[in-house]
Amino acid sequence: MTDSSDSQRPGGPRPRQINVRVRRQDGPARRPYWETFALPYEPDLNVISVLQKIAALGRNAAGKSVPPVAWECNCLEEICGACTMLINGRVRQACTALVDRLLEQNPREIRLEPMSKFPVVRDLVVDRTRIFATLKKVSAWVPVDNYLDLGPGPRQSQENQEIAYLLSKCMSCGCCMEACPQFLKIEVRRLPGESEDDYRRREGEITNHAFMGAAAVAQIDLFNSNPIGAMNARERLDVLIGEGGIQVCGNAQNCVKVCPKEIPLTTSIARMGRAATIHMFRRWFDL
Amino acid sequence: MLKADLASLFGRHEFFIRRLHSFTGLVPVGGFMVFHLATNASIADGVEIFQYRVNVIHGLGPSTIMMLEWPFIFLPILFHAIVGMMIVSRGKRNVTAYPYPENIRYTLQRWTGVIAFFFIFWHVFHMHGWLKFEWWLDSVAKPLGGHRFDPARVITAAEAIQASIWIRLFYIVGVLCCVYHFVNGIWTAGITWGLWISPRAQRTASGLALVVGLFLGGISAAALYGMNTIDTSEAQAGETISDPTAPPGKVPPEASIAERP
Repeated sequence: MTDSSDSQRPGGPRPRQINVRVRRQDGPARRPYWETFALPYEPDLNVISVLQKIAALGRNAAGKSVPPVAWECNCLEEICGACTMLINGRVRQACTALVDRLLEQNPREIRLEPMSKFPVVRDLVVDRTRIFATLKKVSAWVPVDNYLDLGPGPRQSQENQEIAYLLSKCMSCGCCMEACPQFLKIEVRRLPGESEDDYRRREGEITNHAFMGAAAVAQIDLFNSNPIGAMNARERLDVLIGEGGIQVCGNAQNCVKVCPKEIPLTTSIARMGRAATIHMFRRWFDL
Repeated sequence: MLKADLASLFGRHEFFIRRLHSFTGLVPVGGFMVFHLATNASIADGVEIFQYRVNVIHGLGPSTIMMLEWPFIFLPILFHAIVGMMIVSRGKRNVTAYPYPENIRYTLQRWTGVIAFFFIFWHVFHMHGWLKFEWWLDSVAKPLGGHRFDPARVITAAEAIQASIWIRLFYIVGVLCCVYHFVNGIWTAGITWGLWISPRAQRTASGLALVVGLFLGGISAAALYGMNTIDTSEAQAGETISDPTAPPGKVPPEASIAERP
């Protein structure tokens, strides 16, 4: 099949060039601006290869020589979450965003923006420190930390294993937080003369009060359902109902729809809502 | 500094405040609304029946009514309204980017809440004038178009609603917003408190909430229809009740119970 013309391809004829509009920002707290790039059409591209071609091209659609667009990527198979960005206004990974599918939606252009809920480092690169700080806050781990042979761990039911497997697929990409109307951006500006450590400490104190997001709630669910993790269940529940905890959730349920790993986030939120209700009464009456 | 202190106070008790917000919306506020709509729907059977229902309620006496109104109706509504406005102000709606059904419901919950906020505050002024001090009612509320409802002459409620097309429309929109907000609130509260967990259970609960919504919508429609269509001039003429607590002659409730086999 060498003579497959454009009109026979699924999705209709292909454009001769791909217009890519990128929301750029030269550094933290700098004014963002739009820049358009034009590439000759090629089949079977993904957004990462488009960004690589933009870097190789070195000039924008007007022909002006511009610095390449900065972006992050790592695994290229939707497993690490590093290339998460807004593509045509919706949050997803660039590596699995296929250009031919995007052109079916809108043949005129592909729109790339950094995630709007995290501080921009440069262009499409955002600072996701808050996600990892939240994982630390909720103790998203099983506290087994020594070199002694403790023997086999407790057995888990098949049912529990199946739920835990789904929750363990989280890659902390930030999609659920980006799409959440209750999760708001926090950008702490570095003060003049402030050291990196002081700045990070101050930033951490501020984000500590803000909503943890769906991913962290699901991680509390995961580690509280683990037989060893359950030994610290009360500590995690204290964080769950603390400031920025599960109560901020507004049940818009965008998280579960945008999650690329199809984690049942809203099921975890409801299950943790029940746990939070019980925990509240236990704390009141010292049960 | 005070603002920071208040934010910190809210933050430390955020979980309890949000759960109390959920609870007050369901039980005192929502429960009262159902009772209120059902009472008003009795106007569909004629102004005498409605007058009788109002007389039964006001037969409790002003002191008892005040003891019930403040802790079980007014304070919960105020709390729910103020916390609700804070919740709305702390969200960043994104329904155009993510137009999923649940996100639309989330957004409608905020919009109907804000409309209900203004509607209820105005409605309580329009009918009752907010405060029951004589000087306030006569020199402030009445001149500003409030305090239109007289429990001894319930037709005044219909007269107040029929006063203009804008008031009629505001009542229709306001009541329907309140009903949506309550019914969708039942569904989200079930998730919040952990009553329905799996997607399947949440779908079932959503269907049940829809049934409750249609039922309440029917009651509201009866109340709104009755208030909007009753002939205020004719009803006034036939309205002479010597004993306000006596049931209307047309349908004596005791008699109808006794007649049953």
